[in-house]
Amino acid sequence: MLLLAIESSTGQVGCAVGGHEGVLASAHTSRGRRHAECLAPQIEFVCRQAQVELTDLGAVAVDVGPGLFTGLRVGIATAKALAQALAIPVIAIPSLDLLAFPARFSHRLIAAVIDARRGEIFYAFYRHVPGGVQRVSEPTLGSPDDLGSELLAAREEVLLVGDGALRYQGALPESSRIEVVEQGLANPSARTLALLAHARALREEWVQPWDVNPMYLRKPDAAIGWATRDGAAG
Amino acid sequence: MPVITARTTGPDETRALGAALADLVRPGDVVVLAGDLGAGKTTFTQGLGAALGVAERITSPTFTIAQEHRGRVRLHHLDVYRLENLREATDVGLDEMLDDEAVVVIEWGDRILPVLPTDLLEMRFRFVDGGDDDRAVDVRPVGFHWIARSAALERALARWCEAA
Repeated sequence: MLLLAIESSTGQVGCAVGGHEGVLASAHTSRGRRHAECLAPQIEFVCRQAQVELTDLGAVAVDVGPGLFTGLRVGIATAKALAQALAIPVIAIPSLDLLAFPARFSHRLIAAVIDARRGEIFYAFYRHVPGGVQRVSEPTLGSPDDLGSELLAAREEVLLVGDGALRYQGALPESSRIEVVEQGLANPSARTLALLAHARALREEWVQPWDVNPMYLRKPDAAIGWATRDGAAG
Repeated sequence: MPVITARTTGPDETRALGAALADLVRPGDVVVLAGDLGAGKTTFTQGLGAALGVAERITSPTFTIAQEHRGRVRLHHLDVYRLENLREATDVGLDEMLDDEAVVVIEWGDRILPVLPTDLLEMRFRFVDGGDDDRAVDVRPVGFHWIARSAALERALARWCEAA
């Protein structure tokens, strides 16, 4: 089955077309956070390069976060619209899973860390299993200090990947057991998404487009006091 | 905390007041605009934006909620009047805009202080007796980074501040 993978949960936006042969074509842009402007032309480009028509697709895969709200909105809306129009299902995969997967050849504990902005990060821990990685903690929204405490408590070697790990490298505990991957694994990749989604497509682990929602790890909510607005005549 | 009260007599002066702050604001700064509908919040932002090099027309983002403008510094212009919950401010990407090396101007921002940084400039626009277009603007620097700029702020606004 051919599928289109759309990834936009960080400062990078990308897409890929893949199938049982692996990834056929992909494109990624990480300059200027122009998700809305870049994504549709990228999809057109990768389909042309892969010699795939949209009507050939059997599913759309999308990164559902956690990540940047502005980016996720663009990617998820595009994935849902395409899937709905083509009457095909959606495969939704969390950003942190995509980030950790390329580190699967390490037997160290893996921490996938995405920059949540304003001094916070999204993170989760993973372990190598045959053929991939398995998440061993819930995705968490916290501070670099929170992550640092968990790294020290883990008492084992940890490999960190993601833009959040890079940005806050200096705030993490200094230890020979803790290593941040400096290059190549800063952002989730649409290529990884295509690979992971294809395995799920074979097991028919998909959902309908209207059931896809972004994974927002959010802070407690509160109502805004609008005495002024609600009291006004109009 | 020091409050500077400026007085303007019409939209052009309110725009000029905005322009006067352009040399003072830095990427990453938050300016919160408070005050009733029609008090001059958008007009002020037009003046600030133009002086920051924004060429396009700045309009109230009441319905778009957030609008990005590109000048010599980028400007995120928000209006949170239509939001019901603090979480919705996060949903429009507030945290990303606040961490984007841009100037962030938030109309009705005084209503979402719990999700804003502790450093910000608050400007409260008030209708005053006199002409229909007369306004008083209470300018309050909040947090270390803005209080450190109090003197520069007073100089920038001196034109509109008569000795009481």
